Amino acid sequence: MADQPDGIVLRRHRDLEGRFWGPWLRRALLALVALVAILGLVGVFGQRPSTTSAEAAPATLAISAPTAVRGGLLYQARFTLEASQALTDATLVLSSSWLDGVTVNTIEPSPLNQASRDGSLALSLGHLPAGSKYVLFMEFQVNPTTVGSRSLLTQLDDGEQPILAIKRGLRIFP
Amino acid sequence: MDIVLRAAFAFAFIFFLTRIVGRRELSSLEPFDLIMLIVLGDLVQQGVTQSDYSVTGLVLAAGTIALLQVAVSYVNYRFRRVRQVLAGEPIVLIEDGRVLEANLARERLTRGELEEGARQSQLDSLEKVRWAVLESSGQISFIPKQ
Repeated sequence: MADQPDGIVLRRHRDLEGRFWGPWLRRALLALVALVAILGLVGVFGQRPSTTSAEAAPATLAISAPTAVRGGLLYQARFTLEASQALTDATLVLSSSWLDGVTVNTIEPSPLNQASRDGSLALSLGHLPAGSKYVLFMEFQVNPTTVGSRSLLTQLDDGEQPILAIKRGLRIFP
Repeated sequence: MDIVLRAAFAFAFIFFLTRIVGRRELSSLEPFDLIMLIVLGDLVQQGVTQSDYSVTGLVLAAGTIALLQVAVSYVNYRFRRVRQVLAGEPIVLIEDGRVLEANLARERLTRGELEEGARQSQLDSLEKVRWAVLESSGQISFIPKQ
């Protein structure tokens, strides 16, 4: 039997006494990393869009946007409005949570007017004839320091008259 | 403050990854490993500084990582039990010419890799090895028989 090198304790470094858990702990932690990757694959961390819609007698509104995004990412929200009855002044009212900590890169087509309505952003889309369809695209980018969950409220008004509202959630991962 | 937290998280996460992927994977630097290292560095940089191009951001991120590196080094030096967790421990792979297969398997090492290591240490046979030890750095030390 050869004398072991200095610093080597045979029971611990050759027979691995007290080190049985090592590979299992490593495997468990690797599984944790794999789990995070799988959650990413299935879209838990964004930014797969989902559609939410609401219907009222004068119009329907559908919003397609991601419910989870990450800091710095660009994403799109698409608002599809279908008027069953003529709307004199279709107005989309977005709660401040749509914009807080998020940069609005563009709104297409440009609304006729933008205004603040009790802290919310009111986008005037103008007259919508009965049976017409209006699609509004908004492009956003999450500010890198923004994180957390929030509730996004979207309301469709005809002038000041509320028609319908949609509430969605948005999770922003760091 | 945000960039300091990001840098600290990146440091902790990379440290955690290097501890769980296995020491052999980290000790070799084949061309593929080198490229992956650069790619990893780029990914980490994006997560830490994001769109911050300022010198202040550089100082904050690099300073945080340097301080954490010194802290880990001090803890390694000061506390033996913590060192076993943070840095790992050596594992004997060959004793008196006899390959310890269970220890090889634990580190996902093949006999071929062991033989390659021996050749790099000017040993043409594992039977001529008195001790082979996989160090916590991932390098294999070969001590030949007298």
